[in-house]
Amino acid sequence: MLGNLSWAAIPFNQPIPLVTSLIVMAVVVATLLWITARGHWPYLWKEWITSVDHKRIGVMYCVLALVMLVRGFADAIMMRAQQALAFHAPGFLPPEHFDQIFSAHGTIMIFFVAMTFMIGLMNFAVPLQLGVRDVAFPTFNSVSLWLTASAVLLVNLSLFIGEFAQTGWLVYPPLSELNFSPGVGVDYYLWAIQISGIGTLLTGINFVTTILKLRAPGMTLTRMPIFCWTALAANLLIVAAFPILTAVLGMLLLDRYLGFHFFTVGLGGNPMMYINLIWAWGHPEVYILILPAFGIFSEVISTFSGKPLFGYRSMIIATMAICVLSFMVWLHHFFTMGAGADVNGFFGIMTMIIAVPTGVKIFNWLFTMWWGRVRFRVPMMWSVAFMVTFVIGGMTGVLLAVPPADFVLHNSLFLVAHFHNVVIGGVLFGAFAGYTYWFPKAFGFRLDERLGKAAFWFWVTGFYIAFMPLYYLGLEGMTRRMQHYDVASWRPWLLVAAGGAGLILLGICCQIAQLIVSIRNRDALRDRTGDPWDGRTLEWITASPPPAFNFAVLPDVTGEEAYWGMKQKALERRQPSDLPAYKAIEMPRNSPTGFVVAFFAVITGFALIWHIWWAVIVGFVGAFATFVAFAWRDHSEHVFSAKRVAQIDSDRRNARVAMVEGREKDIAHVKMTDIDDDPNRLGLLANAGAEKSGSAPKRIVTGYGFWIFLLSDFVLFSGFYAAYAVLSHAFAGGPKPYGLFDLKTVAIETALLLLSSFACGMATIASGVRNMVWTQIGYIITGLLGLGFLVLEFSEFARMIAMGAGPGRSAFLSAFFALVGLHGLHVTIGLLWLGTMMAQFWAKGFRADIQRRGMCFALFWHALDIIWVGIFTNVYLLGTSP
Amino acid sequence: MTGNEAKTKHRPDDVAPGDRPDDIAVAVRNYLTGFALAAALTVASFWIASGPSVVYGLGIPMALAALAVGQMGVHLVFFLHITSGSDNINNVLALAFGVLIVGIVILGSLWIMYHLNTNMMIPNAMMDMHSQQ
Repeated sequence: MLGNLSWAAIPFNQPIPLVTSLIVMAVVVATLLWITARGHWPYLWKEWITSVDHKRIGVMYCVLALVMLVRGFADAIMMRAQQALAFHAPGFLPPEHFDQIFSAHGTIMIFFVAMTFMIGLMNFAVPLQLGVRDVAFPTFNSVSLWLTASAVLLVNLSLFIGEFAQTGWLVYPPLSELNFSPGVGVDYYLWAIQISGIGTLLTGINFVTTILKLRAPGMTLTRMPIFCWTALAANLLIVAAFPILTAVLGMLLLDRYLGFHFFTVGLGGNPMMYINLIWAWGHPEVYILILPAFGIFSEVISTFSGKPLFGYRSMIIATMAICVLSFMVWLHHFFTMGAGADVNGFFGIMTMIIAVPTGVKIFNWLFTMWWGRVRFRVPMMWSVAFMVTFVIGGMTGVLLAVPPADFVLHNSLFLVAHFHNVVIGGVLFGAFAGYTYWFPKAFGFRLDERLGKAAFWFWVTGFYIAFMPLYYLGLEGMTRRMQHYDVASWRPWLLVAAGGAGLILLGICCQIAQLIVSIRNRDALRDRTGDPWDGRTLEWITASPPPAFNFAVLPDVTGEEAYWGMKQKALERRQPSDLPAYKAIEMPRNSPTGFVVAFFAVITGFALIWHIWWAVIVGFVGAFATFVAFAWRDHSEHVFSAKRVAQIDSDRRNARVAMVEGREKDIAHVKMTDIDDDPNRLGLLANAGAEKSGSAPKRIVTGYGFWIFLLSDFVLFSGFYAAYAVLSHAFAGGPKPYGLFDLKTVAIETALLLLSSFACGMATIASGVRNMVWTQIGYIITGLLGLGFLVLEFSEFARMIAMGAGPGRSAFLSAFFALVGLHGLHVTIGLLWLGTMMAQFWAKGFRADIQRRGMCFALFWHALDIIWVGIFTNVYLLGTSP
Repeated sequence: MTGNEAKTKHRPDDVAPGDRPDDIAVAVRNYLTGFALAAALTVASFWIASGPSVVYGLGIPMALAALAVGQMGVHLVFFLHITSGSDNINNVLALAFGVLIVGIVILGSLWIMYHLNTNMMIPNAMMDMHSQQ
């Protein structure tokens, strides 16, 4: 009934996790009771949990990241304390617990603090900076958020129920294989990361599509704020890199759950392939984190220097260069694995090359400050600290890029110091800068400056005191992840490092205090104008906090630094722009889809971890049903009337009038009645002020988003395909392709798939001319042919397994079953999709959104042919050819 | 950018991937052509793989690769309607990025793993050595 779950999973004999989880549970229960007692649930449900507003979603991401920062930091300070104590002594953490802590620390800090924080800030700021009302796919945005939250829940659940991985944050095999890690720790890691990976991929698709297809009128690509450019690059990296992670973790899951042999030490498995693939994701990942931070620093430095960003074009080129180069350096994470001189040399040089565009950026920021009127407010202080810290971290990185040096420093504390130097000094400082910078925009009041500066000084000094000693210790030969040690000369440095962690703790306390104090003093800190920092980009043109629709009228962009230009014009004329022609605005309706899907994702993940198979099925069916219900709904939008828009906008305009007239303090209200009666000025007349269209129509947006998804799907296949190519000769004495594969069946399968694709094309044409009968007939034929393909494929699989050539026989067969099976899984998903879509066409007719889905289905179905062409050529034909 | 106000409104410079020509006859002919070409290329692939006397040795994998790439192109053009037209630039650029990454992942892995396997002892061989002792 409950699979492997039993009372033994609760750590009754380990006081630290037990007490911690009891305290956390008490806090959670107390919070829930408080919310219930105050009657906040309806508000939370309507305004936050089901919200598809990118600003709300962004805020929730940031809250999640801040909470997880505290969790990750708790792990960090425990490790520092352990190493301070564990000289010739066991310390207070037993090895198996210490191992879980460093694994959890890395996992949480990368996936749930750094990623989550950056995605949160992008969510909040990118649509505002682009001058649009929402992202391309608002509901999927909510799904992304809640899937991330599910993964967070699963990882934290492992503290109380079971255990976490003891393998390090990237769960290297063979240690993470079932033989050596039989517990649920690695499974918690794998399923949590797979679930959050889906959420991240959806975010990537969403933002690439938003930035490329939805922009304010006149906002050409080279007029976008640099943060949008870095967000574009980061999200391109997400859609290109995350499928590799999904693929490689999927292979490890197959090893652990179904006895495959991708990375085992036997039957042809090759653990080095895991390390190769995971870093093919892992290196782009660090740029996914740092690029948005670079964008934030660019905005902050330009704003607080009172100057346009120096070298805007070179910044774009540097960003896109990093975007591509980041895919060509991954081997530097495993120079010592023995690839030899030419491979190591190539990747070493590529790594040094990628430092060049980063250097360009540093100089651009310096030249932006040069001759500027620099205001040292908190966001700017983080930016300056970043420049100094990141340069040090970058230089130690270039040092590590030299393969001979890396042979000495690999896996030492020098490496640990290096990546904390860039991740804290780069990503985290960037997150804090962005958090302070956009906080007033999100909530309408600034954060307390004094406590912000206190937090800044504690963090920065704490960082240097905690991590500089680690460089030295690394050079002295101390390796990472040591639970205890016997070298006396290391101890003083570890004590200093622990002291640094203590200073960082004070910094975090200051940040918590800052939040509380700022909320209390919010009236004094109020931002009335919507432009508290004298900003330059479009988010500062709207009110703080912005209305649900962001902009009453979409801004008309005529150059770089759109808002700065408008502001200067208005200040010169001493009056704001003319009253715009307001129009009714359609906004997407809130939807519980994301929350409900995440609920089922938690059930599925938890059940998979504990082998509770019936609950796995419940979870999958529930998630699928939720999406069907979402796709079925009739009203997806609600409307703000033009009058309502005008009312909401009037406060902002009043504040603006006060600002441009130079009397920020006392805002004189223009009476609403003055403009209320004149429908012409309000733009209530039918065709008043038709907007210049800046964004693409929905059909193109949807199609393009799906196209990006398909490309990421190709990358997913490329991971499995690479594994097949590498393992295709690892027969381990088992059967070889010749005599195993039946080419006749493959030929029939291919014919069925091609015919099915053709039928799908015909159905799409029929639906384009709204002919229901032929649409349905076309789709039925499509489905039947697809089903025939699946039946043949499964019978082939069954035949092979029956003759002892199952996936557990050799690495070659594991890779074969996984690759071909993944294609089969796609066909299966396609058939489920097709079934629901046919029912929808039948029930709802040719509604625009269903037709868009039909177009996406056709793309999907035809793309499966392309993948099949690759499979039948390389697996079947090349495998068996003489 | 055409700069034409009316044109920017309807954005003919941009289409969704998978958008067909409006004329049904043209669209159907498109699919038929694609289907015929794809079928022909598939048949050719299976024929080459069966080891006819006209192709031999290294020619077989090379021919198979060429046919596969050709067929993928046919599918892209005739079924997914990705063309080289100016209205398709965004879609083609995205595709090019995807192909680049797919290429890097596959070729990079093969290159790296080949070197690792040559220089290092493959785990299997290590196992064999253990069993010999």
